[in-house]
Amino acid sequence: MGRTIPSATIQFLQEEESFARFRRALRREDQLALDHLFSNAHHHLAAAAYAAHALPFEVLLLAMLLEEHKLVLRMSSAMEKVQPLLDVLDAPE
Amino acid sequence: MNHAGWLLDLYEDEAGLVLWLMQEDGTRARLAQPFPVTLYAAGPGPRLRALWRWLRARPQPPRLERAERHELFAGRPLAVMAITAPGPLQARRLFAELAQSFPDLTYYDADLSPNLRHAARYGTFPLARVEIEASKQGVIGAVETRESPWALEHDPAPLRVMRLEPDCNPARAAPRALRIHLNQPALDWELPLEPARALLVNLAAMLRRYDPDLLLTAWGDTWLIPLLVELSRGANIPLGLSRDAGRGIGRKKERSYLTYGQVVHIGPQMRLFGRLHVDIYNAMMYHDYGMEGILESARVTALPIQTVARSSPGSGISAMQVTVALRREILVPWRKQAAEGRKSARDLIEGDMGGLVYAPILGLHSDVAELDFTSLYPACITTGHLSPELMNSGAPGAERVPGTSLTVDRSREGLVPATIEPLLQKRIALKARIAQMPAWDPRRAQFKAQAAAQKWLLVTCFGYLGYKNARFGRIEAHMATTACGREALMRAKETAEDLGFRVLGLYVDAVWVTRAGCRAPGDFQTLVEAITAATGLPITLDGVYNWLAFLPSRAHPARTVANRYFGAFQDGSLKVRGVEMRRADTPAFIAKTQKVLLEAMAPAGSAEALARQLPELVRLLRGSLRLLASGQVPPEELVVSQKLSRRLEEYRLPSPAAVAAAQLAEIGVHLQPGERVPLLFTRGAPGARAWHLPEAVRPETLDLERYRTLLVRAAWSVLGALGISEADLAAWAIHGASYRLDDAPAPCAAPPLLLEARRRKAELAQERLGRLLEAKKG
Repeated sequence: MGRTIPSATIQFLQEEESFARFRRALRREDQLALDHLFSNAHHHLAAAAYAAHALPFEVLLLAMLLEEHKLVLRMSSAMEKVQPLLDVLDAPE
Repeated sequence: MNHAGWLLDLYEDEAGLVLWLMQEDGTRARLAQPFPVTLYAAGPGPRLRALWRWLRARPQPPRLERAERHELFAGRPLAVMAITAPGPLQARRLFAELAQSFPDLTYYDADLSPNLRHAARYGTFPLARVEIEASKQGVIGAVETRESPWALEHDPAPLRVMRLEPDCNPARAAPRALRIHLNQPALDWELPLEPARALLVNLAAMLRRYDPDLLLTAWGDTWLIPLLVELSRGANIPLGLSRDAGRGIGRKKERSYLTYGQVVHIGPQMRLFGRLHVDIYNAMMYHDYGMEGILESARVTALPIQTVARSSPGSGISAMQVTVALRREILVPWRKQAAEGRKSARDLIEGDMGGLVYAPILGLHSDVAELDFTSLYPACITTGHLSPELMNSGAPGAERVPGTSLTVDRSREGLVPATIEPLLQKRIALKARIAQMPAWDPRRAQFKAQAAAQKWLLVTCFGYLGYKNARFGRIEAHMATTACGREALMRAKETAEDLGFRVLGLYVDAVWVTRAGCRAPGDFQTLVEAITAATGLPITLDGVYNWLAFLPSRAHPARTVANRYFGAFQDGSLKVRGVEMRRADTPAFIAKTQKVLLEAMAPAGSAEALARQLPELVRLLRGSLRLLASGQVPPEELVVSQKLSRRLEEYRLPSPAAVAAAQLAEIGVHLQPGERVPLLFTRGAPGARAWHLPEAVRPETLDLERYRTLLVRAAWSVLGALGISEADLAAWAIHGASYRLDDAPAPCAAPPLLLEARRRKAELAQERLGRLLEAKKG
């Protein structure tokens, strides 16, 4: 049962592979951060497949952004909780 | 004369068909049936006229007629030449010549098994209860089938079964004796293989006296039957393996082929006539569903038992489609002509994909419900009328398949839905029956085997829609089916979220959800009903897990994969997917350790309770490690069973499997791609040793360190879900580094992300902050 269009997973691996030279030139700590971005995109492969977008990398970028934004939301909600404490600490003596 | 009984065997011979009947009085009857067979040819007029003249000029010309028949994809009747031969054998010989002399014509119904033709005409199937009218000479006048293959329960045929197995695996050592077991009367013998004469005389006497209907052998295809035939020929003692003395034994060569990305090996085949032979080691699905499953496959597909046992479910589903086509007088193409329809890149991007597989939410979860669509794809096919001939047919009123540019004509019933509808209904009814049965019910195992056989047929039916060589396959129908499956899953997700559930995972036809306060199965009933209403497809609650862990990928720890998870249902039973103990190549000892760990985890009522069990679980692991280090694990429990993926000379860097296969080749045992090679890991080069070498294993050569690594890795697959890293687990279990569940410096570099530790840290931080604030105020 052959398929004509590569699956979302294959497309993802191809996109990741196409940045191999870019990744190689990064510093080690930056490489790890880049891997993290790709892992975040990997988390949404089912949605990317379902979207059937003609330019898969756009969807992957959006998926990376999505996870980044979730992190921002989580952190700002955590900040909201600790803000009163910080205000107390920062209050003038 | 009237005969009543069960139809045991049916095959072609010079006079037409031979039917073997297990009669109610315990005797077995051989009956003959004249059975003219018609095949069809279509093509341009001048060529058909040439064919007509050619057939007329033959010494025994077949009966020729002009006819109109229905061609599935044409949508209108097709003018064909009907060529009728006196019997299946004559038809086959005639067609072989035809295809060579007139290769440009299109042929239909040309290569169909006589069993399917008989099934289409008389409703017969293997072991069906039949009544037959025959002359005194045993020539059949009328056949009537007294039961339907779709009935949930049936009178089991009184099969006399003789089991034959050597005292050891002939691939490993030369067997010395043959163990024989008879089911009625229940008897056991052991016959020495030497001297051959005594063996043959005794075996022939047993076959004559007890006259078994089924020989169930171990290595019968590859070793026993060929050996017996050779001995019998050498000693000139006829054995009578086949009941039909004139027929001897039917042989088929061995072969290897690629399917679903795996190399599969089928050994040579030895078929009997008037008696059945099934080799449990050369039967496709024997280890999945046993003899009961094979018999069920034969019932519903009408293929001979000896064929079904040795072929894939794909041949079964093709057979069912052919029988339905014959009954509806639809032409069955000899070689499929229909090419794939034109598609734009857009169509392909939208439609050329499989089911949706979400990355589940990593980690350990409590109170998770699993909901499964019942036979999702078959249900999509039958409710959606997704049959190849109904796709993009241009019929007025055709409906669009959601999420694709395909259309389907739902005004009539298609061939494929009509084929699987009764099978799907039988399976659903059987599953409902099993669910109500108490665990001790003796019929449970049989029903489960039947349901398993049906499941494989249904799964393959969907696959065959997209298989280019399937007679009634067409990729558009396959694409429409997966699109319907995706739509159903998407609606299930939306419905669950609308009702306030959190969707943890989605896998083709399964959904995992949680919602605070939902624990009892009844809490999920509204959801089940809502999804069924939203999709029109049956979905059921598979169960509620006390806890469930979704595991990360082995290669990428930051990524989850959908098919690696395990969890404990509320009744304490476990569901485990994708970890080592489920893999065929894992050594028994490692699988056992993993199972022990999981069983110790099963009673935990929640994820929190489970996390507290970690020290006790590590103790269990240390017990296994000690056993391994002390050399007390028997070598057979360390056997790794790897598959040979290609031919030996094709390996550039020999895998352990290739190393072991090469060792076996040296002693004259040659393995084919697709066969498994049991082996042990050894110290130093070459690193592996075939398990089936004649000399004894020296325990001191075993690579215990490698086994230790494998063991810890397998344990971590399970314990990692509790938050411990693989390195920490190894340090703890192997070197005895211990943990304290607080943030005091641990003996390992990275403190574990234990739930308890995390909580304790939070408490300490709070205390510290409190003190700080106090100080500020002060």
